[in-house]
Amino acid sequence: MIRRRWAGYLFLLPYLTLFGAFLLGPLIYGLVLSFMQYDMLSPEPAKFIGMENYSEALGDAYFWKSLRATTLFVVMSVPITIPLALLLAVAVEAVNGKRQMFYRIAIFAPSVVSVSVVSLIWRWFYNKEFGLLNALLAPLGVEPIGWLNTPLTAMTGIVVMTLWWTIGGPMLVLLAGLKQIPAQYYEAAAIDGAVGWRAFARITLPLLRPALLFSLVMNLIGAFQVFGQPFILTGGGPELGTRVAMQYIYQTAFQFYRLGYGAAMSWLLFLVIAVFAAFQFRMMRER
Amino acid sequence: MNNRFSKLEIIAVLAAFLGIAPVVLMILTSFKPDGEVVKFESILPKTPTLENYRHIAANPEEVPILRWLFNSVFVSTSVTLLVVTVTSLAAYALARVQPPGGRVIFTLSLACMMVPGQILLVPLYMILNKLGWIDTPLALILPHGASAFGVFLLHAFFKSVPRELEEAAAIDGCSMLRIYWHVMLPISRPVLATLAIFVFLGSWNDFLSPLVFTDSVEQFTLPVGVALFQSSYASEYGLTFAACVICTLPVLLLFAIFSRQIMAGMVAGALKD
Amino acid sequence: MGRDERSISRRDFARTAAAAALAVVGCERRSTQAVHLRFWNGFTGPDGRTMLRIIKQFNQQHENIQVTMQRMDWGTYYNKLFVAGLGNRAPDVFVLHSDQIDRFYRAGLMTPIDAMLTDGRVPMDDLDPNVLAKTSRAGKHYALPLDVHPLGMFYNRRLFADAGIAKAPQTQKEFVEALHRLKRAGDGGVAQWGFVLGWFRVIMYSIMSQYGGRIFDDATGALTLDSPACREAMSFMAGLIVEQKLVPEIENLAGMIGFRQGRVAMVWEGIFMLPELRRQTDLEFGAAPLVIVGNQPAVWAGTHNLCIRNGLDDRQTRAAMTFLKFLSDHSLDWADGGQIPVRRSLRQTERFAAMTAQAAFATQIPYVTYMPSTPFTVEYQVEFDLACDRVLRGSATPQEALADATTNIQRVMTRYEHWNTGSAP
Repeated sequence: MIRRRWAGYLFLLPYLTLFGAFLLGPLIYGLVLSFMQYDMLSPEPAKFIGMENYSEALGDAYFWKSLRATTLFVVMSVPITIPLALLLAVAVEAVNGKRQMFYRIAIFAPSVVSVSVVSLIWRWFYNKEFGLLNALLAPLGVEPIGWLNTPLTAMTGIVVMTLWWTIGGPMLVLLAGLKQIPAQYYEAAAIDGAVGWRAFARITLPLLRPALLFSLVMNLIGAFQVFGQPFILTGGGPELGTRVAMQYIYQTAFQFYRLGYGAAMSWLLFLVIAVFAAFQFRMMRER
Repeated sequence: MNNRFSKLEIIAVLAAFLGIAPVVLMILTSFKPDGEVVKFESILPKTPTLENYRHIAANPEEVPILRWLFNSVFVSTSVTLLVVTVTSLAAYALARVQPPGGRVIFTLSLACMMVPGQILLVPLYMILNKLGWIDTPLALILPHGASAFGVFLLHAFFKSVPRELEEAAAIDGCSMLRIYWHVMLPISRPVLATLAIFVFLGSWNDFLSPLVFTDSVEQFTLPVGVALFQSSYASEYGLTFAACVICTLPVLLLFAIFSRQIMAGMVAGALKD
Repeated sequence: MGRDERSISRRDFARTAAAAALAVVGCERRSTQAVHLRFWNGFTGPDGRTMLRIIKQFNQQHENIQVTMQRMDWGTYYNKLFVAGLGNRAPDVFVLHSDQIDRFYRAGLMTPIDAMLTDGRVPMDDLDPNVLAKTSRAGKHYALPLDVHPLGMFYNRRLFADAGIAKAPQTQKEFVEALHRLKRAGDGGVAQWGFVLGWFRVIMYSIMSQYGGRIFDDATGALTLDSPACREAMSFMAGLIVEQKLVPEIENLAGMIGFRQGRVAMVWEGIFMLPELRRQTDLEFGAAPLVIVGNQPAVWAGTHNLCIRNGLDDRQTRAAMTFLKFLSDHSLDWADGGQIPVRRSLRQTERFAAMTAQAAFATQIPYVTYMPSTPFTVEYQVEFDLACDRVLRGSATPQEALADATTNIQRVMTRYEHWNTGSAP
């Protein structure tokens, strides 16, 4: 038994080494940084200032505004992404033979394109005067809409683009989950007269719970950290309405060079994510 | 039953079309001359041209795209192999052996996933600089090895595998390593394949790490290299799309191949029941 | 001569011969060992292509100096440059825009290049004085300007002819009149616009300067953003968009795309957009100085300045200066890619006169104005952009937007107060 334990640690060693050196180490450094005033432009050396960065962040209207933008994105995208991914997984799974592979690839294809190109395409697409979307709607008599010209429609545009770009991932995970449910369960249930929606609710959903929870949490964590899409699509506009928390942190740390302050805001964002994720875990577990 | 079938397939068709249409559009646009690209007059190129591709192929100094392709393939493959190895070992230990402190490691890993990645950039840069790894592939591969995502995914899967299989092997006198290699890994093929795809794709599309940790154009990976066609004020759309097609098609091809593997693996897994 | 003397003299001879041989070999080894210079900049797209060509030429002509260039987009470039500088990985030669000089100057990353100016390698009076002045700190010049890229006007000749406009508008009255004449309705909206905004930060900055408005006071460095002149400038453009509907709502990318599609008659863009316009082979366009809508001539310009890293040894510094001189002397090649040389003698050549767009924009050089260079450039520019954004969308009056921007920039300034920000324009 002891040998197994030692073997266990040996198995963990590569992971722990990499984790310690490249994740935990920098993280602790970041935490320490958040308690310090470290402005790279300042001739003063970094100095310990306790909770001052945190209190500044909590009083920073721009920080709250960016949190609102991020939260808006999360609230708009996550509740749509997972059910949609589930729907697509079920739809694709129901198809037999070679066709299924084609659908899998086609739905997943957008995820393969890099974020900068995706955002470029969609920025063009949404342009009010000269974009493709309005050009397609014009023959239907629709006046040109400034999709990216108000914060709410711009955020909607970002969400739609993100949906297109990232739905393939969760769909694959749920598809794998679906494939692992043995056909016998459905057959047995059919004998008892449970088909269609009832089979879905009684068999599929419960057995998919781990996969669903996993997808939900990953999607949530990812959504809170959204950065590339709004950055390239709108640059944080209009009027900084889509400047998400990650962009504000990035600007603070890498353009204003206030590393301590940026670190503190990152940890505050982490707290928000942790609370939401814990809440998700609790909710899914209780059911 | 049949009605639901066709209704569901309609959804799949629609989704597939919406998913692939912009990609196809991008491919078609890469064959348009730049002057035509801005005009959206037609979907098919009015004056199809290979000029964009020719420019890319003929200017290896400006656009060492083969080098970038090689870098991307090398880095992404290495990261995938590293992650699959490291996390499957770790996840197995955590799920089965459950050494003391395992719970802590697991929770810590999960917590680390939630931290905004940007916060790691500067400290990581400093560490990698000290190690002398900046501007080498090492900086792009090793920091990604400890994938909490991988541990999370594999841990859940390993826990769900019935113990009888391992116990049978243990009774036969297999060491932990042999059990891991001969019993757990083969069963986990679908999950490992899924993890591999996500990790590969994440690494392939990773823009921020290569941007920050490499300086030389020859060390760039594809996403960073392709971005060179965009200046801050203007974009050379035709070239960008052509370069993007060169980036995207190999991965799509790879995925198509992988896709069959998953299906085979999953079928094998289901038969085991 | 005793036997000893002969031996000594032979030994002496051998030693001297050996020393001489070593000296010769040593010299050769030193001169065949080339100096390698790392050159970083943000020249992506066509700029990058042009610069690569020039560097290739340089490397061919100079066996003992080899330059390798690394490039990335400007935003990332500045971040990396700074971090690299702090981590002792800074490149040997790098480019800075004029409004970024302060940050890097304060970090001590550049070395003065006055030697080049005083010994005539690059004659100081051949450079535009107002451009050169931007690189001066504490009496020394820390960078060599390579070019000037001002804003200017590109216009569609055919649309002008159709509307009966004979020459490019130069005053506010002419401009507004042209806008009226060029706007055409179409099905589902406006089919043709007289003018569309592009990079509104520099456009608004130009207009503001034309009304005499300034972000920071020239003499005291105090914040003067919320002034009657600035407000008037903002009102003018906002009026055209919101009230008179002569200019569409702002959206980045719009100007260039519309212009290339032939649906917009005028755009105010930098000369660096020239390569993109040339690619639109079915577009007949002309170039002219920017309209003066205010009461004094002013137009935004940027400049790419060449800097040499602090801490290079003599040999490297000399090599770097040779490279800088080469670039400066060849700035007509650089101009080909959509730039304007800052060397006045080169602007008087026939070759430059044949570059009609660049020549037209170059007439503005005497009155170009730069965005102020401060240690907190990015921070005030974010606020300035936000204020413009709000006013041009009609969601705030110039008064409100400028007052808010003032408050926020003031907060940033207070944080930097214990330094002297002395480098206002």
